[in-house]
Parts: sequence; structure tokens; C-alpha cells
Amino acid sequence: MKRPLRGIIAAVAIVGLGASIAACSSSDAPSTGSVDAGADYSGPDVTITFWNGWTGGAAPTIVPQLVKKFNDEHPTITVKEQAIEWADIASKMPLAIKSGKGPDVAVLHGDDIATYGAQGLLLDAGDVVKNLGYSADDFPGGLLDNAQYKGVQYGVPWSVTPLGLYVNNDVLESAGLSTTDLPTDAASYTAALDALKKAGVQGEWVDGFVFTGTFEFESLLWQFGGDLFNDDVSKATFNSKAGVQALTWMRDLVDKGYSPANVAQDGNFNALVGGKTAFNWNGVWQTTNEALQSVDHQAVAVPQIGTQQAVWSSSTHWVFPANKGQDPNKSAAAAAFVKWMNDNSLGWADTGELPAQNSIREDPALLTAHPELKVFLDELDYAHYETVAPGITTAVAEITTAVNEAVLGKKSPQDALDDAAKKADAILQQNAATYGG
Amino acid sequence: MADTVVTLSARGAVRPRGRAPRGRRTLTAYLFLAPFLVLFLAFVVTPAVSGLWISLHTWNELLPLHPFVGLKNFIDLFSPDGLYADDFWESMRATGLFVVLSVPCLLVIPLGIALLLNRRVRAGGVFRGIFFAPYVLGVAVISVLWRFLLDPQLGAVNALLGADIPWTVQVPWAWVSLVGITVWWTLGLNTVILLAGLKGISADLYEAAALDGAGAWRSFRSVTLPGLRPVMTFVTTTTLLASANMFGQSFLITRGAPGTETRTAIMYIADQGLGQGNMGAAAAMSYILFIILAGVSVLNFRLQRDTTR
Repeated sequence: MKRPLRGIIAAVAIVGLGASIAACSSSDAPSTGSVDAGADYSGPDVTITFWNGWTGGAAPTIVPQLVKKFNDEHPTITVKEQAIEWADIASKMPLAIKSGKGPDVAVLHGDDIATYGAQGLLLDAGDVVKNLGYSADDFPGGLLDNAQYKGVQYGVPWSVTPLGLYVNNDVLESAGLSTTDLPTDAASYTAALDALKKAGVQGEWVDGFVFTGTFEFESLLWQFGGDLFNDDVSKATFNSKAGVQALTWMRDLVDKGYSPANVAQDGNFNALVGGKTAFNWNGVWQTTNEALQSVDHQAVAVPQIGTQQAVWSSSTHWVFPANKGQDPNKSAAAAAFVKWMNDNSLGWADTGELPAQNSIREDPALLTAHPELKVFLDELDYAHYETVAPGITTAVAEITTAVNEAVLGKKSPQDALDDAAKKADAILQQNAATYGG
Repeated sequence: MADTVVTLSARGAVRPRGRAPRGRRTLTAYLFLAPFLVLFLAFVVTPAVSGLWISLHTWNELLPLHPFVGLKNFIDLFSPDGLYADDFWESMRATGLFVVLSVPCLLVIPLGIALLLNRRVRAGGVFRGIFFAPYVLGVAVISVLWRFLLDPQLGAVNALLGADIPWTVQVPWAWVSLVGITVWWTLGLNTVILLAGLKGISADLYEAAALDGAGAWRSFRSVTLPGLRPVMTFVTTTTLLASANMFGQSFLITRGAPGTETRTAIMYIADQGLGQGNMGAAAAMSYILFIILAGVSVLNFRLQRDTTR
């Protein structure tokens, strides 16, 4: 925004980017190779590269430690780990894979896998899953399927991050509320908000941004029995009756005085830390938030506002990129690395993410080290993960716009959701054309 | 321009006298220009032309097929049921609004400061440094800073004012914030350029004006402003383009909220092209933005052209 003359070529520059990207793309049709490997690698010495987006929190120290341990235990495999911001991975990795310079193994979010898969950027990991002895029962319900697109298994689950209800104990006590008998349903939650309101506290500050208004909305939508999209993800359904109920409930927090109007992104979490509010719906990753540690707080399962239990969760998965000229030995070594990492993922909880592998989460050592994670582990029985469809993040972005408009009072929940659904439908239609449905 | 020595011959006719054969000198000049030409061709002309090519296709860089669609991407932007038309023009409107609101501030305020600094004020250099200081900060830094300060409930600004103004989440306040922050952030550059321009105006002219009985306002209008014209044209053009190019502040401070009202054209084009792989449509949008900006720039040069010569 500040360099002289940069403006005049802004448009051209963006176009130019397109051209340079186009130059990298090859014309071979997406073909799906596969990885055929097990937990033990017996091939020649290889060095494999591993990209991940863990640049914050405890991960930058934990990942290199794990990698070093793996390398020490496996003389024929050297893993080279590279942490790159998630946003940079999104912009770099597809092109890198196309030109044969991508990593041999990487971690992706659940809502990216179908997009990569549809573009032929990932190897079929079905045999890896089989050879490593994984079945759907080794992971939280539905998670393994969540890494499938069109019947092909593209990923191996690594971690999940559900939403929870964070509570500022001091604020509750100052309003004369119990810190042990916490709200679990609509009635008790509203009662608590009422009591807080009488004490002059706005109990839950609701925001209209991705973090975390959108996650809260999606949780509520599922609780009221709705869903984001129809079964084959060809049509948006978040403007259903359930969606309107969910968003109306959020807007009511403002209208009934439980929340200030016009909360900015992170304003609610900062208010929780600052002792200005009692409740905040936020991800398990906040358990490691340093500012929060100085506050007397706890996290519990999100209350069941609707007719059934449900909570939003994101997920991450191991994937095996289909680099141009990918060396099968490297992918095989990568499979051995993935198995080892999952088996040694107990320490991953230090980063505020839950290891996906059931056997690790059920290990009592996990709760000994992190008792605060119990409520999040229990939530996984009814957690919903990302929608699997290529290009889906674009359609989901429309949901955030709707939540934003309704929470800020620009549109009624029904209108906001209808408008967003109309746009999302058009995007889904376009995605079907782009990615071949 | 120094490569030709002009001499007056005895008969008074102007005759250029070369120092080397003409062809060789031209070659030398071209050789010196070549590196820039190569860069220009590689990074401006080629992308611009291939961008035009891309805009005629449905183009996702990662998919093998890029079907040719002719002018559909452009036509869609002008037809009410085009998938991107509403959002694109809303973002263009946002950019236009930002330009209209910010450019006058970014010209008038720096001019005022430059005039003050141009007087022999004590510690003028220090003030110049203070006004320029924010400019050295990156957009991410100023955005995080102001997002904290302008938080509607927890921010220092509302605490000082004793108000609860939704600075970053509702219009018109979001525009006030975005324009205000941008003015605070970038006015230093324009101030410094205008100050240099002021220093270039001969003191004799002011003296002559004063002798002719011109007051402060008259000499500002008749000496300062005409003297600043070339500098002003430059500053206006760069400011216009920089404002039309606004991206980071909206992206980081308001995130386009409320809804998508503060999502600027560049933000939308970048999201479409790079985020969603709609290179064809994004290229078409870029061209429309480019044509409008080129038109505005030409108009600006015309309007500020010196007509007295």
C-alpha cells in the first residue's frame, strides 16, 4: 500500500502472478499413484522432507525433538522437517508438488484434502492405512473417512481440535455462581447468563469472525439437527430452520444483553482473560495460551443448546504428496515415519491439539500430564469435522460472512443465511465444474 | 541528455557535434538500457499479456484443462447474475470510497505539515522524523497495533473517549479507522516529498510577491502552489494509486467486516485468483481495475498540467 508506482502495476502484478504460476503447471492429467508401504522400511538410505504449518506455540520445539528421535532410531531414514506458515503452505505446496519440489510427507487440514486430491496432488494412502494396520476404529468416529475423497484414502489422521467452553472462575464467583456446577444445556446456560447479567457482567461475548463465531455457529447448527451442506455437497443447507435457530440464538445474546454488540475478532477471548466476561467458546488450542494461564479458569464441554449433542472440530492429517517423479522409496520411508509419529504422539498434547490415534488418547499418561484435556477428549464422541469436498473452504467462507452480518445486526439471521447459501450454491456449482464434481 | 554537445557555429546555426559515430553511441545506450528492458519485458510486459490471455479462459493453475471462454469473464462482471459481479463491484466501491476519503487527507495534511516544517522552526528535523516515523513500520505491525487500540470494548481509544464506538466492525466507523490509520501511517512520505518541493521554490519569488503587496494567502496561491505543481502531480498520482491498492489494513484490521463492506478490490481479486484458483475471473477483474486506474492517472496528469506555459 505504500510504495510509489506500485499501484499502477498492481493489477498487472496479480495478473503476472497468474502467468508465472501458469508457467509452472504441467499439462499431464491428474493421476493417482499410491504408496505401498508399512511400518518398517527396508529400502536404501533416503532423506525425506516433511512440511508442516506448526510455527507457533510449543510445536517448534516438540517437532524437531520427535524428528531427531525418529532419525536416531532409523539409520536408513533421515527426515528433514520444515515448518512453514499454514497460509504459505496453501500457496506454495500445490505448485511445489506439480513441479516435483514438494515434500515427501506433509500435514494438511481436513478441509484441504479433497482439494488436493481432486487436483491429483496426493498419493493414494489406502495401502499405507491397511499396511500400518489402521482401521476406522483406531480414530474418533468418522475421522478416517474424513480424509477420503471419492473413495480414495488420501490422508492418515494426526490430530483433532474441538471447541470447548472456557470459563473464567473468578467472574463466575463474583456473580455468586458455582464453578463446579457449570451449565450443560440451554436452560442452565441461559440461567447463568441471566445471573451474570444481574451482576453487571455480559456473560458471553459473541463475535462474527472465523475465530470463533463461525465455529460456534456450526456447533449450534449441528446441535439443532442441521448440517452445512447436503450429502453430496452440491447444495448449501446451513440456511435451514436449524441454521436460523442457531444464528438467532447467537444474535439473541446481543439483543438480550448477554453480549455487547460489535465484538471484534479475539475481543471475546481477550475479555475472558481480562475478567470482563465469564464464558468463551474456543478451541482446545487455547489450553496452551500463555495469557490464560494467569487467570483462574477451566474448560468444559460446550453446552447443548439444541436438540442433540454436537461440537465443531478441525482435524489434521498426514498426506503423501504426488510429486512429479516421486521416489517410491521416499514415500515408503514417509509411511514408516507417519506410523512412528502417531505411535509417539503422546507429547503432541503439549501443543494444545489432541492426538488422533485412539490408543494414544486412551493412554492414562495423557490425562496425567494434561488433566484439562479430559473434557475435550470426551467431546470427540459427538464432534463434527470439516466438510470433504474440493474447494470447500470458499463456500464455508460465505458462512462467516452470514454470521458476521447477523451478529453485527446488518441482516436478520434468515436473510444473512439465505444470501450466503445462494452464494455458496453458486460456488459449489463452480467447484463441480472446476474439479469435475 | 548530456551526450550531445550543442555548439553555435559562426553563422549562428545550431549544429550538433557528436563525439562518436552515431550508430555506436546508440548501441551503447541500448546496452545500458538492456538490463532494465529485460526485467521490464519479463516482469511487466509478459505477465500483462499472459494475464490478458488468462482472462479469456477458465483458469485454475493446478488443473490440466483451461477451457477457452472468450470474453465471458468480462461479460460476467457486468451482468447482474454473474457469479462475481456483485462482490467485485462491492469491492470496487469499497476501494473507490477509500480513495475518495483518504487521498484528499493525504494531500492536504502533508502539505500543511510541510508548510509548517518549511518555516525555520526549532528542531524541525526532529518533527520531520516524528511525522515520518510510522512510515517505516510494516502493515502487519500497524494493523496489530491499531486493532488493539481500536477494539470496541477493550481498546484504549474508546477508554480515553469514554465511548463504545465500533471502530473496526461497523461502517462508517470502520472507514474512519482505515482512513485515519492510513493517513497517520503514510503521511510522512508525502510530507517529505512536498517539503523538498517547497525548498525548491526560490525565495526571490516570495520576496517579489511581498513587494507587490501579496499577503500570505495570495503568495501561497500564486507562488507556492504553482511552484509545487510538478511535485504535486507526482504525489497525487502515487497517493491515488497507493490508496487504490489498499489491502493490508482491511485484511488485517477489519477483515472486510461488517459482512464484506470493507473488502477492497485488491483483497477480493487476490482471494479469487490466489486463494480460490479463479485466475481467469481474477485476471479480468485486474484488467478492469487497471483500466480505471490508468484512466484516473491520465486524468490527473491532464488536470494538473501547467497551462500557463
